[in-house]
Amino acid sequence: MQYGNNGSRYTALSNVNLTINNGDFISLIGPSGCGKSTIIDIVSGIREPTNGMAMIDQKQVTGTGPDRGTVFQDYSLFPWMTAFENICFAIEHTSPEYPREEIEKRARDYLELVGLTRFPNAYPFTLSGGMRQRVSIARMFATDPQVFLMDEPFGALDSLNRIYMQDLLLKLWSEGTERKTVLFVTHDVDEALLLSDKIAVMSPSPGRIKEIISIPFARPRCRKSLSADPEYIHLKSYLLSILYCEMLGEIGNPDTEWKERP
Amino acid sequence: MILKFNRESWGILFLLAVTFVLAAIVPDAPSQAVAENGIFLGVIIFLAVFYLVQLYLQPENNRAVTDIFLLLSALLLVWEITLGKLALLDPLLFPGPARVFAVFGSDWQIMLAGVASSLFILISGYLLALLIAVPAGLYIGWRKRLFDVAYPVAKAVSPIPPTVYLPYAIVLLPTFTASSVFLIFIGSFWPIFVGTVFGVFSIDHRLINSARTLGLSDHQMVRRILLPGALPSILSGSLISLIISFITLTVAEMIAATSGLGWYIEYNHQFANYYKVIAGMILIAVVVIVIMSVFDRVQQYVLRWQQR
Repeated sequence: MQYGNNGSRYTALSNVNLTINNGDFISLIGPSGCGKSTIIDIVSGIREPTNGMAMIDQKQVTGTGPDRGTVFQDYSLFPWMTAFENICFAIEHTSPEYPREEIEKRARDYLELVGLTRFPNAYPFTLSGGMRQRVSIARMFATDPQVFLMDEPFGALDSLNRIYMQDLLLKLWSEGTERKTVLFVTHDVDEALLLSDKIAVMSPSPGRIKEIISIPFARPRCRKSLSADPEYIHLKSYLLSILYCEMLGEIGNPDTEWKERP
Repeated sequence: MILKFNRESWGILFLLAVTFVLAAIVPDAPSQAVAENGIFLGVIIFLAVFYLVQLYLQPENNRAVTDIFLLLSALLLVWEITLGKLALLDPLLFPGPARVFAVFGSDWQIMLAGVASSLFILISGYLLALLIAVPAGLYIGWRKRLFDVAYPVAKAVSPIPPTVYLPYAIVLLPTFTASSVFLIFIGSFWPIFVGTVFGVFSIDHRLINSARTLGLSDHQMVRRILLPGALPSILSGSLISLIISFITLTVAEMIAATSGLGWYIEYNHQFANYYKVIAGMILIAVVVIVIMSVFDRVQQYVLRWQQR
């Protein structure tokens, strides 16, 4: 897949080349402002690249579509719909051929999978941040897309909730008959290491992929034994050192900060 | 169920009871005397019962209700003593409560007809404005190019008082009803329209992106995302519209009507029936309170998803 995006005032991404195999879990990691979210926007079809393109199964991405499911940090759900309505609404639009009972059944099933059976009629503002993200994830799985796009989905959660959500995501992801392709944006090195098959490290101004690292650990992965694995420790310190270099670069060049957002 | 009484609650009942006894036993000043003060007594009893019902329905958090009723019953008592019993001010301009409330007995038919005709005009004009301004606002707020033209225009035009259209409305439209419906439509159109456009414009862009990832059609986008997202702003515009409509309506009726709430006041003013003028004001106040509380209920229901 190729992406490129020249904004009117700045180049958010340039010369980004990333090939993702079916069923791979890829993390994008990098300092803020390096264009991670822009990649998600382009693949999801919200933004069109000014140069280059995104392709899924040899087909160019034009606009949004039901083959991609998206979870954002904390604003995927519509506040005027209950948890149940949010999920139903998404299924209605991604699979219009389903009859009403089927839609509702699916919505209930997925609410149950994320442990929210008791809150179908809760409006998002009454739910905690973690519960809201569980609804968002339930919604993404319920629409059954080919590709999952997740833009720092656990970024706003506290660390305990984050651990729970990572395990939940892995469980749901590996349960299906065939694994879905996941493009996962994060700035948490441990999270990336635990979840991914490959990690793409990005660097800013202009956003580009600096290095792609394969993560060798066998699945299912165990959080506890993983953190004691010397290979894990080695990879983690390596990733941190790359990111740290980037940050030093940022500090040395203070002009880059204000360019982050147009 | 035992009602929770505090000092203020007893104070209200005490004030109302004193007023009741004064009204029932002590004769009014000769200039304020009426043959029949049963309606005034009825009003006092109604206030007491209404307060107790409120207390029963809302056992907690009734401090505001209690304070309002305390103020109301104190005012009623002061009114009764200073004007009704002592006639301290000009009796023609400042009638006592018994004389004012007796009007509701003698004029109830004409008043009821007035309420009906006023409400008919108000509701038709207002609904017409809602039906046109909300869809137009949603569409224009969604199309950036239309928005850039329409929003400054709307902001410039909306403060023009609708009554300036009155001369043309009267000349061009066949009946008073038609021209006042038109005035209310114009008057309430702009605040609802501006509220809707602004509401669409201020929906979190990330929510719209989230909706776009679901691949919604334009129609679904408007109905399921833009409309609910803009609702808080639509409702605040609608509230302003409702107030403007009411002002416009009463002014229009005072100028040109043959029935209605504003007309009733203006008509009796011409005959120097000031006790009827005050009765008309009370009637308007009651109608306004009822309309506003209906509006509040509707607002609370449609915005139940919002954090308060």
